[in-house]
Amino acid sequence: MRSEILILALMVGAFTWAFRVLPTRADLSAMPEGGLLSRFLAATGPAAIATLFTASVLPMVTGGLPLPLAGGTAAVLAVFAATRSVVGATLAGSVAYGVLFALI
Amino acid sequence: MDNRPSTLADGLLAALPIVLGYFPIAFAFGVAATGAHLSPVEAVGLSVIIYAGAAQFLTLALITSGAPLLVSAFTLIAMNLRHVLYGPSLMKRAGPDARRRWSWFWAFGLTDEVFGAALGQLARGRRFSEPFMFGLAIGAYASWVSGTVVGAWAGGGALKNWPAVEAGLGFMLPALFLALLLSILSRAQLPAIAVAVLATVGVTLAWSGTAGILAGMIAGAVAGLVPRKVVDAQ
Repeated sequence: MRSEILILALMVGAFTWAFRVLPTRADLSAMPEGGLLSRFLAATGPAAIATLFTASVLPMVTGGLPLPLAGGTAAVLAVFAATRSVVGATLAGSVAYGVLFALI
Repeated sequence: MDNRPSTLADGLLAALPIVLGYFPIAFAFGVAATGAHLSPVEAVGLSVIIYAGAAQFLTLALITSGAPLLVSAFTLIAMNLRHVLYGPSLMKRAGPDARRRWSWFWAFGLTDEVFGAALGQLARGRRFSEPFMFGLAIGAYASWVSGTVVGAWAGGGALKNWPAVEAGLGFMLPALFLALLLSILSRAQLPAIAVAVLATVGVTLAWSGTAGILAGMIAGAVAGLVPRKVVDAQ
C-alpha cells in the first residue's frame, strides 16, 4: 500500500472514528437550541450531501438531461417516497439507470 | 414496547437490509478503485480504515486528480463531519440509562444507514443495548468490506462486457446521495441545501470539481448560520 494513500486513509479514518464515537460520550443535546454551533452542525450534513449529489451528477448533465439520469432520479424519489428506505431507493435508482441505459 | 433485552443476533438481523444494499455499492467501489489504478490491498484498506462510502468514492477522484494530501484530507474530513450529529441523537433516543461503555468500538460503525436503522428500530419499540449495536454495526461493516474485496478481486475491467451493469453501478453513488438527502430533508435546511447546490455548480464550472465540492459544503454550512427569522423574512 502506497504510503500517501495509507496516510490519507489513517487521517480520514481517525477523524471519522472521532466524529462517530466521541459525540456518543458527550451530551450535545444540552447545546442551546438555535445557537451558532447548533445551526452550523445542523446545516453541515444536508449541505455536504447536497454538494455531493450535485458534484456527482454535474458531469452527466453537460449538454442536457439524459434519459437514464432522469429515470434513475425519478426511481429514487418514487421508491423513497413509498418506502422511506435509503437502501431500497438507492438500489431502485441504480437499476432504473442501468435498464434505461441498456434500452437507449 | 419490547422489554426483552436486544441481543447481538437482533442487531445482525436488523442489519440485513443494509447488508443487501452495501454489498453491491462496495463491489462498485472495489471495481472503481482498481479501475483507478489502486491495488486490491489499497482498495480494501480504504474500506477497512475509512469505512464511509461517499468519502471513499471521493478519495478515488481526489487521488486520480492529483490533489495534494492535505487538501484531500480536509475535503474528506469535512465530508464526514455530519457524523458528529448521529451519536448525540442516537443516545438521546436510547435514554439516559443507556450504556455506552463500548461505544468506542461499535460507534465506528455508525454510518448514515446504520444510524437510520438504529433510530428506526428504537422508534418501533426496540430497547437499546450495546450488543444490539454491535450486531448492527458488524453486519454492515462485514458487508462493506467483503463487497470491496470481491469488487477489487474482480478488477477494474470486470464489467467491460456489461456496460448497462457498469452504468447502473456508476449511478449508485448519486442515487445514494439523493436518497440520503431525502432522508434528512427538512424545510429548515432548504436554504443551506440551495446555497450548497448553487455554490457547487458555480465554482465547479468556473474553477474545478474539487474546489466546487469544498465551496458547496462550506457555503451551505455557513448559510445555516443565518437565523431562521431572517431566512423567513426574505
